[in-house]
Amino acid sequence: MESPKPEDQKLQMFFDGELPPEEEAALRRSLESTPEGMAQIREWAQIREAMQTASADWSGQIDSDSLFARIEAEVSAPVIPIEPARQAKPPLHSVPGGRERRVWGAVATGFAAAAAIFLTVMAWPETHQDPSGVTAEVRTRGSEVLEVDFGTNTGTIFEVEGGAGESLAVVWIDDGEVGLQ
Amino acid sequence: MSLIRYLAMIAVLLGASNASAQGSSSVRSDRDSTSSVPAEVLVVLAKEEPGEIDPELKKLTALRRPPFNSFRSMQILSRPKLTLTPGKDALVSLPNGRRVKLTLLRVMPDGRYKVKAAINRPDKSDYLPLLQVVASAGDPFFVAGQTYQGGTLVVGVIVDPKKTSQ
Repeated sequence: MESPKPEDQKLQMFFDGELPPEEEAALRRSLESTPEGMAQIREWAQIREAMQTASADWSGQIDSDSLFARIEAEVSAPVIPIEPARQAKPPLHSVPGGRERRVWGAVATGFAAAAAIFLTVMAWPETHQDPSGVTAEVRTRGSEVLEVDFGTNTGTIFEVEGGAGESLAVVWIDDGEVGLQ
Repeated sequence: MSLIRYLAMIAVLLGASNASAQGSSSVRSDRDSTSSVPAEVLVVLAKEEPGEIDPELKKLTALRRPPFNSFRSMQILSRPKLTLTPGKDALVSLPNGRRVKLTLLRVMPDGRYKVKAAINRPDKSDYLPLLQVVASAGDPFFVAGQTYQGGTLVVGVIVDPKKTSQ
C-alpha cells in the first residue's frame, strides 16, 4: 500500500481536527478559494456523515450487556488444558505459527484502526467551523422565530446581532392603536 | 489473547461507550423536558426624543442596532421574573393593559428552549395571537411596536437568565 503524501496527511489531520488553529485556518482558506477545495470539503463532510450514520446503526445493534456477561463467563471459566495432538503433522497442511500470528495480528490491527476511526468521528468537536465559517456554537446561540400570527395587525420580523455575534429575533408589531393607554 | 476475545473487547468498549452516552443523553433530555426554567421579561419604554438610556440596558447591545437605533431614550418600566413550566401559561401584565402569555413548549435536543408567546388584552386574542420562538439560555427575543405614552414598548423575554452571556 502506498503511504499517503504529506499534503494528504495534512488534509487528513485537517478533517480530523488535529491541525493547530493557524494551520487549520490557512488550509481552510486555501480550500475554500478553489472549487476543487470546496468540493473536497463537501465530499469529506458527506463521508463523515455517512460514517457517523453507519457507526450509530452498528453500535445500536450491539447488546453490550449480554456481550459483557458472556465475556465475564468466559473469563471466569476454569482453564482446561488441552493435550496437544500426538499425530504427526501432515507436511502439506501445516501452517507455521509465526505466520498465523501475523495474520491474526493484521486482522486485529485492522479492527483497532476501524475502532480508532469510529472514536475519532464520534469525538469530532462540535465547535468546528462549517464551510461558511460559522461555528456550531454560534449556530445554536441566539433566538429565532418559528411561527408568528399578527392577528388583525401587520408586523415585521427582524434579526438583530447580539453581543456575541448571535442572531436575536425581533417581532415588530405595526400598532394601529396610537395613544393607547 | 485470542482474536475472538480481542474483537469482543473492542465491541464491548464501543457498545458500552455508546450506550453510556445515549443513556446519559436520554436522562438529561427527560429531566430537561419536564423541569421548570426561570425567565425574565424586560418591559422597556423607548422614545425617539433624546434622553437617558437605562444603564442596565447598555449591555444589551442588540438594542443599539436597527430597528432599535432610532430610539434615543430607553427606560425600564418593569422586569418581572417568572418560572416557565412546560405546558403551563405564565402571565405578565404590561403597562398598557395587555398581558404577555408565555408557555415553555419543550427543550430542544440542542438545549434551546421552544417558547410560545402571545400578547392580548384579557379575554381577547386579536393582537398578537401566536408567536413561537426557539431561544438559547440567556439569549433574548423581543416583541416591540406597541405604542405607549408617546413611545414604544419593547418587551424582551430571556429564558434561563442565569446563563445570560451578554
